[in-house]
Amino acid sequence: MECSFGITGKGYTIIASDSNAARSIVKMKTDEDKQKVLSDHLVMTYSGESGDTLQFSEYIERNLRLYGIRNHVELRPRAAASWIRAQIADSLRTRNAYQVNLLLGGFDLPTSEPALYWVDYLGTLATVPFAAHGYGAFFALSTLDRYHRPDMSLEEGLDLLRRCINELKTRFIVDLGTFKVRVVDREGVREVKL
Amino acid sequence: MSDITTLNGGSCIAFKGKNCVAIACDLRLGNQALTVACNRDKVFKITDKTYLGMTGLASDVDTLRSAFRYRLNMYRMKEEREIEPETFAHLVSSTLYEKRFGPYFIEPIIAGLNSNNEPFIAAADLIGCLNFAKDFVVTGTASDKLFGMAEGLWEPDLGPEELFESISQALLGALERDALSGWGAIVRVITPDKVIERTLQSRQD
Amino acid sequence: MSAGAGESAYSFSLTTFSPSGKLVQIEHALAAVSQGTTSLGIKASNAIVIATEKRAPSPLVDDTALEKVSVICPNIGIVYSGMGPDFRVLIAKARKSAQAYWKIYGEYPPTRVLVQEIATVMQEATQSGGVRPFGVSLLVAGYDSARGPSLYQVDPSGSYFMWKASAIGKNMTNAKTFLEKRYNDDISLEDAIHTALLTLKEGFEGQMTEKTIEIGIIGTSTVGPVGGSGLKAPLFKKLTEAEIKDYLAL
Repeated sequence: MECSFGITGKGYTIIASDSNAARSIVKMKTDEDKQKVLSDHLVMTYSGESGDTLQFSEYIERNLRLYGIRNHVELRPRAAASWIRAQIADSLRTRNAYQVNLLLGGFDLPTSEPALYWVDYLGTLATVPFAAHGYGAFFALSTLDRYHRPDMSLEEGLDLLRRCINELKTRFIVDLGTFKVRVVDREGVREVKL
Repeated sequence: MSDITTLNGGSCIAFKGKNCVAIACDLRLGNQALTVACNRDKVFKITDKTYLGMTGLASDVDTLRSAFRYRLNMYRMKEEREIEPETFAHLVSSTLYEKRFGPYFIEPIIAGLNSNNEPFIAAADLIGCLNFAKDFVVTGTASDKLFGMAEGLWEPDLGPEELFESISQALLGALERDALSGWGAIVRVITPDKVIERTLQSRQD
Repeated sequence: MSAGAGESAYSFSLTTFSPSGKLVQIEHALAAVSQGTTSLGIKASNAIVIATEKRAPSPLVDDTALEKVSVICPNIGIVYSGMGPDFRVLIAKARKSAQAYWKIYGEYPPTRVLVQEIATVMQEATQSGGVRPFGVSLLVAGYDSARGPSLYQVDPSGSYFMWKASAIGKNMTNAKTFLEKRYNDDISLEDAIHTALLTLKEGFEGQMTEKTIEIGIIGTSTVGPVGGSGLKAPLFKKLTEAEIKDYLAL
């Protein structure tokens, strides 16, 4: 029942994920942060098998941090996405693969372009203008198809996100509660309230 | 239904022409019936005159793409020359067969002109069994439809423009009847002196 | 310390730099080569010829079993000067390498790629613990679509050179001087074979017959089908005793 969204606009990327920690049909927690800020200009949402998500996201987080410390420069979003994908793809052919779905939202300083990558547990990497994981994808992608423009202002982007979440509120049988939202732009990563 | 070879969808086709070859693919990346992206080029440049198309599990397409990039760069440096399409086909085959008992779930097609500018096309199955076709090769979720279209549209000794026209019609026709492929297409015609690359609009459903 | 670590920790390479910067083991290996019988190779306009003197240590040895020119794969052959047993090891490795290449690319390696593989094996013997350098120099003759006919020499150090004509082993200096005088860029294969025979004759001890020399050729005149592919390409070919006899008679 987990759900996450990503939207790129003019000079920014928005990343959002629901805040529920559930076990079977029971909601255990409603203020879970299912995102990791990987570097100044890169943030990741993760969902999937509960133990795997934390193990894997921390592994990614620590290694990207290590890269930054070693090289005095952060991995660019494209390179980070590619490396993360490879980690999942390598793990896929082991006896217990990480079952983790990711959205990577970033801002690429050298080109001043926002970046959004859709990655699933099979190691599929897609470069997309907007993306969604979980049941939310079935409800929101058509909304995103209809209203998304690459040159949207941040306020328009957030409005579009609200539209998507509202779609879930009205049509999805489960109430996903509040969404944790982060924005990445030239200034870096920050949390915003919807 | 949850067959991993058809999970992401997508199709490729290659035609042999007169002193030219054409290779084309659709642009969809899906997750079963859900379309995730419509910018997924499935044809990759190997040399100036050789291209590789891969369909199947998108993750394995990416993995193999970097495996081939590695192997080709090593080949280029070791041999100080570009690989011939025939030789590359064997490299593809042996790379896939390395994983005979835990295969990559992709089916490749290769199209190119060799150093004598003779057209060459080939296809392989997921464990690298090569098929050197004289006319056309197809792969992907629309492969059955592509066979039918190609069977009707391909003719021998087509020039670059006629070849572009017939491969485009074959692909677009097949995409109409395959729910897992579509959302635009890219066609490349390889001729001795240039590669003509065109993006085709197709139905967005 | 784990078992066995004590032993490997002291198995230094025998090839250690002398204070003057020389690797004397390699120089000794070259000395072993120059005691070996003379071999030479000549590049013709569209072919390569390699030849060697073959001497049985005793008249009682059945010389039909002696082989100094070896086929590595259809398009490459090698001749050596120096230690026969070391050559056999290299031949085995070279043949394996050629077949491994074939398994990947569906064709046999270009001459230079195979030469690099052999050179790597020979270099490793100069830097590894517990081994000595190979006591052979090689002349590698091959033909490939990338570079046409080519002739390479590989030395015990692992260095390799591409030649128009070269000689190794006993009398190599004289033979090279002779080749320098006789060589020109557009000789035919037939002329090259004769030059090879004349050069060998220069320092030859005893009677030069079809039994005491070996010749290998490859070029556009030795074309045949490669493997089961049906494609035709130049093949490395050892001249038979009868063929050598004919050349000697001319």
